[in-house]
Amino acid sequence: MTDMTKANVTKANVTKYKQLGFYVDQASCTGCKACQIACKDKNDLPVGVTWRRVAEYSGGGWSQDQSQGTFKANVFTYYTSVSCNHCEDPICIRVCPTKAMHKGIDGVVGIDPTACIGCRYCEWACPYSAPAFSAAKGVMTKCDFCQDYLAEGRDPACVAACPSRVLDFGEIDDLRKKYGTTAGIEPLPDPAITKPHLVITPHKDAQKSGHGDGTLANPAEV
Amino acid sequence: MLHELPLVIFTIIAQMSVGSFVVLGLIHLFGARAGRDVIDKVSDPALYAIGPILVLGLLASMLHLGTPIRAINALRHLDSSWLSREILFGLLFAALGGAFASCQWFKWLTPGLRQALAGLTALVGLGLVWSMANVYLLPTVPAWNSWATVVRFFATTFLLGSLAVGAVLVVTAEVRRRRGSALDEVSDRVIMSSLRGITIAAIAMLGVEFVVLPIYLGELATEGSAAATASVGALVTTHGGYAVVQLVLVFLGVALLGVFLSRLVERPGSAVQAQLFAIVPVAAFVLVFAGEIIGRMLFYASYVRAGL
Repeated sequence: MTDMTKANVTKANVTKYKQLGFYVDQASCTGCKACQIACKDKNDLPVGVTWRRVAEYSGGGWSQDQSQGTFKANVFTYYTSVSCNHCEDPICIRVCPTKAMHKGIDGVVGIDPTACIGCRYCEWACPYSAPAFSAAKGVMTKCDFCQDYLAEGRDPACVAACPSRVLDFGEIDDLRKKYGTTAGIEPLPDPAITKPHLVITPHKDAQKSGHGDGTLANPAEV
Repeated sequence: MLHELPLVIFTIIAQMSVGSFVVLGLIHLFGARAGRDVIDKVSDPALYAIGPILVLGLLASMLHLGTPIRAINALRHLDSSWLSREILFGLLFAALGGAFASCQWFKWLTPGLRQALAGLTALVGLGLVWSMANVYLLPTVPAWNSWATVVRFFATTFLLGSLAVGAVLVVTAEVRRRRGSALDEVSDRVIMSSLRGITIAAIAMLGVEFVVLPIYLGELATEGSAAATASVGALVTTHGGYAVVQLVLVFLGVALLGVFLSRLVERPGSAVQAQLFAIVPVAAFVLVFAGEIIGRMLFYASYVRAGL
């Protein structure tokens, strides 16, 4: 496809979505991180810059059966694949001093690399670690919902790569109709803070945001 | 502990500049009886020292940026971003302060107008500290999102401002004495009463810091979220040693000044005391400045965000 037709396709897609969102089925995610790698590959991200991460949340211990005096393990681990949630009330846009962070077409939160000064204030504020600083470029970078792929009628790289088909995307209202409205699962923050456009089918051991007793098992990866 | 070093330098220096400006203003107000010329002579060197230091602080903040060449873009979101407002107030304070210092130097405008300009500059400076504190009131960072951040920023402002002015006053007097151009007795009295006021202010701010810290830590420790608990761990366990050093340095600096001043009142005029006169306020400033730098480093080291 030439650049010219690409531009036309993009234009035709301007009003395709009111608000894009992501869906993740925690119950079926195996934590393989193919989504994270596909994102890294498609966007050619350097080491240390990650636009989609898979959080591993673990907890539990031993529980005692009083009648028998025996112990059994009740440990758990579940995975949550997260990118930018293109929030309804994006704290990154609120705090950005340059207006580089903005709501773009399809409700996607974008960053203007010609305006951003790389102050990293959005990185401090975002509870999903979505904005990632690029030392090479001196500005923030983030998930753009693979808008070039969408324009070609393809799925975002992360969604397309998932071997367990736990990721989905689309109009947030449709996703919520189809999968429900849950988004407040540990280790993610209370959705009231930024109102993320994210829907989660919780894992059977999933704990509500703010009520978890587990820990993030892979802090260096997220 | 070396997180955000440019911001440690920027916030401490900017707050010290605002504090110094306000303290100089108070010296002018309370010392009015001694006559404007005397006060000007005693305090103007301190006023002129603020400018270059503040500019250095503002430049240090740019080292924090990934693309400093576009730093001016930081002014584009005044309607929503406290960071934009912080930079606006910082530039305004520098500009007004520069204008006021120039008026003092060249004796432009009437004394009354100069005083009005100084008052406006002080208000803008306090606005700078206020917006600076608000930058850190992020709902996703429990260690920062506290009334204590605001109180502690203002305590640092007045503590460092007082002691910096005290140090410059005695150093200026000492330099003038060695040059043989010592000021008259009235000026000496102004310096002495200023030092007394500065010491009282420093003791008060020390009190504020030492009372606020345990209340703040207690609130953070009982907040309950994983992020708050991790922040307490960073402050008390991981960097607990630094916290002790910070408190000891700040206490020693203020105590040194207080003890020295009380001795001076008891037995004025001894030769040893004259020698110490220029050294003790400077030593007090250095100790407290070091303590406040460590305190601000701890502030940034306590950063833990809610969520991922």
